[in-house]
Amino acid sequence: MNWQIHLPALALAVPLLGAFVSPVAGLGGRLTRNAWMVLVSMATTAICILLWQRVVAGGTVVYVMGAEAWNITLPSGLSWPIRIILEVDAFSAFMVVVGSIAALAGAFFSLRFMDKFTGLEKFSALFFLLVTGMLGMQLTGDLFNFFVFLEIASVASFGLIAFWRDRPEAVEASFKYMVVSTISAMFVLIAVGFFYGRYNAVNIAAVARMLHMGYAEKIALVFIVVSLAMKCGAVPMHMWTPDAYAEAPAGVTCLLVAVSQASLYGLFRVCFSLYGASLGSTVVPWTIIVMGVLSMFIGVTMAVIQKEMKRLMAYHSVSQIGYILMALGVGLLSLKDPQAMADYGFTAMKGGIFHIINYTMYKGLLFLTAGAVFYSAGTRNLNELGGLARVMPLTTFMFAIAAAAIAGLPPFNGFVSKLLIYQSTFAVYPLLAVAALVTSVLTLASFVKVFQTAFLGPAKKTFEKVTEVPASMLLGMSVLTIVIVALTLFPGWTLSHLVEPAAKALVDQAGYISAVMGGGL
Amino acid sequence: MWGKVYSGFGYWDVYFWLLFFVIAAGMILFIRALGRSDYKEGTEQDEIFYGSNEVPEDGADMGVPAASAYWGFVEALRPYYDWLVELHTGIASDYVGYFVLTVAAVAVLVLL
Repeated sequence: MNWQIHLPALALAVPLLGAFVSPVAGLGGRLTRNAWMVLVSMATTAICILLWQRVVAGGTVVYVMGAEAWNITLPSGLSWPIRIILEVDAFSAFMVVVGSIAALAGAFFSLRFMDKFTGLEKFSALFFLLVTGMLGMQLTGDLFNFFVFLEIASVASFGLIAFWRDRPEAVEASFKYMVVSTISAMFVLIAVGFFYGRYNAVNIAAVARMLHMGYAEKIALVFIVVSLAMKCGAVPMHMWTPDAYAEAPAGVTCLLVAVSQASLYGLFRVCFSLYGASLGSTVVPWTIIVMGVLSMFIGVTMAVIQKEMKRLMAYHSVSQIGYILMALGVGLLSLKDPQAMADYGFTAMKGGIFHIINYTMYKGLLFLTAGAVFYSAGTRNLNELGGLARVMPLTTFMFAIAAAAIAGLPPFNGFVSKLLIYQSTFAVYPLLAVAALVTSVLTLASFVKVFQTAFLGPAKKTFEKVTEVPASMLLGMSVLTIVIVALTLFPGWTLSHLVEPAAKALVDQAGYISAVMGGGL
Repeated sequence: MWGKVYSGFGYWDVYFWLLFFVIAAGMILFIRALGRSDYKEGTEQDEIFYGSNEVPEDGADMGVPAASAYWGFVEALRPYYDWLVELHTGIASDYVGYFVLTVAAVAVLVLL
C-alpha cells in the first residue's frame, strides 16, 4: 500500500504525537526535549510539503477517518457523508505548507529562547497542540471538526501566551484573548448548529450541495465571518492582537501569525466553498472589503505611534491582514460575474493568497528578530534601544530584509503581492488602491523608525556587552529569511505553482463538492 | 520566466530590478572612488560633527528617541489619534462589546 495516501492523517497525527510525547521527552533532559521538538517539527513540515506535492500532482485529496476504506466518502449508498473527512485541495495544501514552515522556524527559535523558562515540556506540548489545531483547521472538510480544531488551537494559544507567567501582562493578555476568543467560538458553534439543524449534515461539501439561502443560513454566515475575522485580527475586533502577540514568547508569536491565517482560511473556505454563488447580494463581500480597508489603515496608523517593538509589529499584523481581506473580498465580489473574475477578481485573489505566504514569512521573521533583540538587549522599548547593528549584524540583516518585504519595497516579495492587489482593487474602486498605497507608505515609515531607533545610531553603553543570539535562534530566523529571498527571486514560479492552483481551488466550488459527494477519488 | 509576473495590467520582472540595483551599486562605487584619497582614519577627520558641540561619550545621549519620531505627523492628526487611542481601552469587556456590535451590525446589513 502506498503510505502517501495517509499524508492528511499523518499531518495531524505527527504533531499530536509530538504534543503527547513531549512531557515524556522532557524527562530525558534539555537535549532530548530539544531533539524531539526539532524532529517533530521537521517531520510535520516534510509531511505537509509531500501532501502539497500530492495535491498539485493528483488533484484534491480526501481522507475518511475511521472508515474501512480511506477514500469511500459515501458508503452504502448514503446521501451524505457521516464520517469525519479530511479534504485537501490546493488551497488547503498551500496553507499547511505555509503554516508548517512558520512552525518549524518558531520551533528552532524557541530552543534557546525559552531556556530561562521552566516547565518546557509543557511548552513543547502546547506548541505542538497549537500546530495540530492550525493544521486541522486547514485540512478538515467538516464544519464541526473545524470548530474542534479551532478550540484546540485557541486553548493551546491561551497557555502559550501566558507562558511567561511571572509577567502579569502576559496573563492579562491571555485572559483577554480567552474571553473574546471563547465567545466568538460559541458563535461558530451556533452557526454549525444551524447547518446541522437545517441539513442534518456538517460536512462542508454536503452542506454546500444542499444550501439554500434563508434566514438561518444568513445568520450562520454572519456568525462565522465575523468570528473568524476577529480570530485573524480584523478591525474593529483586533484589540486582542497587540496584547497577545506582544506578550507571547517570540517563537509562539511566529506561530500565532500562521494560526491567524488558519482562521482566515476558514473564513474564505466558508465564503467560497460552502456558500459560493449562493451568497447572493454583495453585502458580505463589501463587508469583508471594508473590514480590510479599516484594518489596513487603523492598524498601520496605530503602529506608527507605538514605542514597544512587538506591539508595533502586532499592529502591523492587523494592517497586513487588511490587505488579504480586501483582496479576497474583491475576489468574492466578482465570484458570480465571470467577466469581472477574469478582469480583476482572479488577480485580486492571486494577490491575496500570495500575500498570505508573504505576510506569514516576513511577519514571522519580524517577530523573531524582535525576540532576538529582547533576548540579547533585555528590552523591547524603542526609546531605550539603539546601535544594535554593531553587535547583532545577522539579526539586523534579517530584520532589514523582513522590513523591506513588509513595506513592499521592490524587488522584495511583498511588493509583488501588493502590486497585484493595487492593480486589481483599483479596477473595482480606485480608493481601495489608494488606501492600500497609503498604508504601504506608512508601513515603510514605521519600519524605518524601528530600524533607525533599534539598530542604527551610535553605540549605547547599556548594550556594550550585547552579543549576537545563539545559533539555533539564528537558524529559526534563517529559515524564514531563505523563504523570503526565494519568494523574492522566483515570484513567477511561486505564482504558477503555489498561488494560482490555490486560487483556482478556492473558486472551484463544484470541484470541492464533487471530491466528497462524487463518492471519493 | 520564474522571475516574471503578469498581473493582467502589466508585468513585473524581478531580474530587471536586480540588474538596476547592480548598475546603481556600480555607479555608487565609481563615484565613491572619485573621492579624496588622502583621507586618514583615526585622525580628527574621523570625528563626528555634532553641531559644533562636544560629542557625548555615551550614544544614549545622542540620537532621536522613538517617541519623537514623526512628531509632526502625529500632531497634525492629533484629533484622529486621540479618538483612536481612546477606543483601545485594553478592557476585555470592551473587546467583547466591539465583537458583539460588529456581529449585530453585519447581521442587520445581511438580513435586510
